Amino acid sequence: MSARHHPSEERLLAFEAGTLSAPEAVVVATHLAMRPQTRAWTHLAQAVGGAVLDDLAPSALEDGALAAVLARLDSPDPEAGVAPPLPTADHSLPSPLRSFELGPWRWAGPGVHVRNVLGPRDGDCRVILLRIAPGKSAPRHTHVGVELTCVIEGAYATEDGVFEPGDFEEADPSVLHQPRVVSDTPCLCVAALDGQIVLPGRLGMLLAPFVRL
Amino acid sequence: MVSQPPRDFRALIACIAQSQDRDAFVEVFNFYGPRIKALLVRSGTPPAAAEELAQEAMLTVWRKAAAYDPTRASVAAWIFTIARNLRSDALRRGSSALHAFDATFGTEAPAQPDAILSGAQDGACVRAAMRSLNPDQAQAIEMAFFQEQTHSQISHALGVPLGTVKARIRFGMMKLRAFVEREMRGQA
Repeated sequence: MSARHHPSEERLLAFEAGTLSAPEAVVVATHLAMRPQTRAWTHLAQAVGGAVLDDLAPSALEDGALAAVLARLDSPDPEAGVAPPLPTADHSLPSPLRSFELGPWRWAGPGVHVRNVLGPRDGDCRVILLRIAPGKSAPRHTHVGVELTCVIEGAYATEDGVFEPGDFEEADPSVLHQPRVVSDTPCLCVAALDGQIVLPGRLGMLLAPFVRL
Repeated sequence: MVSQPPRDFRALIACIAQSQDRDAFVEVFNFYGPRIKALLVRSGTPPAAAEELAQEAMLTVWRKAAAYDPTRASVAAWIFTIARNLRSDALRRGSSALHAFDATFGTEAPAQPDAILSGAQDGACVRAAMRSLNPDQAQAIEMAFFQEQTHSQISHALGVPLGTVKARIRFGMMKLRAFVEREMRGQA
């Protein structure tokens, strides 16, 4: 069996603690949806949370809190309503990605297409879907900020090994990164990007005005 | 506080789910409501907002009781995730929808026989595991998890490099996992 790539323990803890930005959380949630094995780990983190909650010295609620909540028990659950239609959402994607509208596919280099996952944003950090044809590479780029990637279909290889569906990669900002697709079918990934990707070299300079990855 | 007989919260949640049992809800409310507020205050939420979120969390317990799966988590862990999601929403981090599968603990995936899952439901085992950590590891995990500080904020607060904070959390969590797995194997 090949080595499995999963989020670091500290990133999973941050996901469970709710301190990841929305774009980062989307990519981690995609990994968790595809790799139930990793959830054994997040369940442990939740159990630790539960044990601490049980042991906390209670902080008294206001007088009337119970009555106020009891009075609301019969009111309808606002979340129980019908979800708004999402015309551009793709229901073949892993469940965490199904609730977002998607932008159009755009060309981003030979064999490379990107589309925005609309919604999760945190400053310059956002989520994209990246589709790369067999044998092609993502444009050579350095990372402005952290890039998290989860493979949805197909496979790519980097200096760190082969990444298959469900695999999670946390790019090192200091590394020049050029994943190459090694599957026979296109490789579809979800990624959280912080800032613009810098495309080095002459091709990068030529592409820069057009390619806003 | 006067010590009380241990309550079977799983049974209480089942009563809420099956028959909208208000008496069962009041018991769960009286135990967990003030603890959720304490947790939120401890993680930096202003008391008025913590009060409101604690009430909201208990309302969610009532509404989502049918989604609670006792084979997957303790009631405490389930309520903890509800409070965490509401706080995340309140801060407009916007990631609570992504934790949606937490509320059901991933019912879309088949339940797996897993030492971690069964061990993690045992609060005493988890507490013992926490005590096995060295103080630096326990502190980093506490700050990340219960005070909801980002790793950069923890690094700043403790005056240690970011890499050190991450390493303490990583090795602390690995140690917790190994401890729980060992305990479960011992019982098997």
